[in-house]
Amino acid sequence: MNRYFVVTATAIRLPNVRTSMPSSRSQASLSLVVGQSRRDTNVEELVRGLIASEVWAIAETWNRFAPMVVVMAERCLGSRSEADDACQEVFYRMLSRVKTLREPERLRSFIYSFAVRVVRNALRRRKLRAWLSFEEPEALVDLTWGTLDVESRDLLRRFHRLLDRLAPRDRLVFILRRIESMTVEEIALAMDISVSTVKRSMAHASERLSSWMQADPGLAGLVEQLRGVR
Amino acid sequence: MTTSSHEPKGSALLTTLAELGRDGVKRPSRAELDHGLNVLYSRITAGRVRRKGLVRGSLVGATAILSVLVVLFAASLIRRVTPVSVRALAYQIEGGRVLEGGYLRESGHAGVKLRFNEGSTFVLMPGTRGRLRSVSKEGARVAIDNGTASFRITPSNERHWWVESGPFLVTVKGTVFVVSWEPSSERFELRLRQGIVVVSGPMSGGDLTLRAGQRVVVNLSKAETLITEDQPEEASAESVGAAGPSVSTPITLEPSSTQPKTAGLPRSMTPAAATVVNTPNARRWAEALASGHWDSILEDVERTGLEAALNGASSEDLFALADAARYRRRTDLARDALLAERRRFPNSHRAIDALFLLGRVEESRGNGTARASAWYDEYLAQAPTGSYAAEALGRKMIVAKESGGAAQARAIAEEYLRRFPKGSYAGTARALLREP
Repeated sequence: MNRYFVVTATAIRLPNVRTSMPSSRSQASLSLVVGQSRRDTNVEELVRGLIASEVWAIAETWNRFAPMVVVMAERCLGSRSEADDACQEVFYRMLSRVKTLREPERLRSFIYSFAVRVVRNALRRRKLRAWLSFEEPEALVDLTWGTLDVESRDLLRRFHRLLDRLAPRDRLVFILRRIESMTVEEIALAMDISVSTVKRSMAHASERLSSWMQADPGLAGLVEQLRGVR
Repeated sequence: MTTSSHEPKGSALLTTLAELGRDGVKRPSRAELDHGLNVLYSRITAGRVRRKGLVRGSLVGATAILSVLVVLFAASLIRRVTPVSVRALAYQIEGGRVLEGGYLRESGHAGVKLRFNEGSTFVLMPGTRGRLRSVSKEGARVAIDNGTASFRITPSNERHWWVESGPFLVTVKGTVFVVSWEPSSERFELRLRQGIVVVSGPMSGGDLTLRAGQRVVVNLSKAETLITEDQPEEASAESVGAAGPSVSTPITLEPSSTQPKTAGLPRSMTPAAATVVNTPNARRWAEALASGHWDSILEDVERTGLEAALNGASSEDLFALADAARYRRRTDLARDALLAERRRFPNSHRAIDALFLLGRVEESRGNGTARASAWYDEYLAQAPTGSYAAEALGRKMIVAKESGGAAQARAIAEEYLRRFPKGSYAGTARALLREP
């Protein structure tokens, strides 16, 4: 006969006081002390907290900016799992360099620039590995899909396969411009390249993608079909 | 981003795809964020420990060198007496392959099995998404992103195994267990057959230590943890066997509670036993589909003959054929392929998915709205929480509106909004309810 124990679960909440870092993952989940809400903490205070390695500041920064990083990385890499790894890397690097942030109000773009660099490195590594292994790079489309229907998912898979054929810089510029809707100047700043290089990369990526799509009438037909539905 | 009518065709297509790329990504859930923050803390802590070690090391340099020499000398003496036999972990993979980033990709429809040189094995159930995060002399770390996996870990003092399952971390002490994670419902389940495991994650009361025979189910969305205690049992042959199946033999696993049931199918849909010919070309259509060579699939069918193709193709290939035929608007062929899938592979998850796709095929035939609706009903009955459930209900609503007007579709729209308030047809459903 089965015996049942019911325990109410509580989401992890970190204490609102400075505390020593948990020595393991499991210890972090033990703390159930819920402090005052830090949602309205201003960004200067947040940056001061980050510089002082305050636990609440790290948690608040993560909660505010991690979704932005994960979504951007997933759009670029085509994989939620890889995006999660990239997000970890972004925050780890950012926390080790946060003392160099001169203007606290630029925290968001500070984090974003780390995200762009980490994603670009991930794309380069992927390309290099594909080249070194003398294989066709394999598309790792592992998106969370949002609320897309089945036809749209098929299309998106095929779109990521085309993106995989682009050079990492062209791919990143294309996604930041067309999907993240950033301006050319913002992209240049985030990627640390000139505006004209961004424009060149964008033109190159668009031209190549368009030609590949035109060469694949099936894909073009599917997109037309989707546009008709929408 | 909008598309103007003056835009070149290629650019307009790109705009549509870019919009898809934007809409296709979902924000991380609360549980995923909490899990990520935990991982970040662990990493920061590890980094600090390393930095402190360096500082201390520089202060006591000479003493440390001396200590190291003494330790090395002592170690060499011990080694002579008891030779250490910790070998690096190596593994063989069956039924799939490891991709970049450690992703485990299923090559058939029978799951993926990994067999390690120290005796441990684990199996990802068909359709499960998992990763081999690290393998070293010290142990291995496996991540289950979605689905169910069985583990048989050989006890060892030298090696540690960790299984990440959504926001949960299972620290393995040498056991046999089955673990599953469903991100959509935020449900974690672990059934322990032998040994001890420690489960960490977003639960009150901290880490959970489970004994043999216990089963824990954590439902994050309901903030509920349930532990049941059964009689401890030996790992059955259904889980991971010591002598596992070969690549060509389907791996039999316990059916997951989330798997759609096939019982209750109408008699006309009850198919015969499945037979798959495992030839080197068994996945040729699936691969051709992935490369966009739809016409080559259709030509292949014409060459070999429809009957032979439908009776000889693997489950994955039949699905690929159905997709290729749908894309090329060969609705009769798509229908035949999907019906063959259901007839020959009744217990596969694709047989259930085929119900939904049959509805799509009937819809595209123009005069098949009643049949489409029936297929959607069948799908919703068979897999009420299946991956196409929202779409099946949404399409059913559209079909009902087209065939019987808004009045007929209103009840379906209400049901849709109740079950999938953020679904892709939610806007249509609301608009429909607003109609007089």
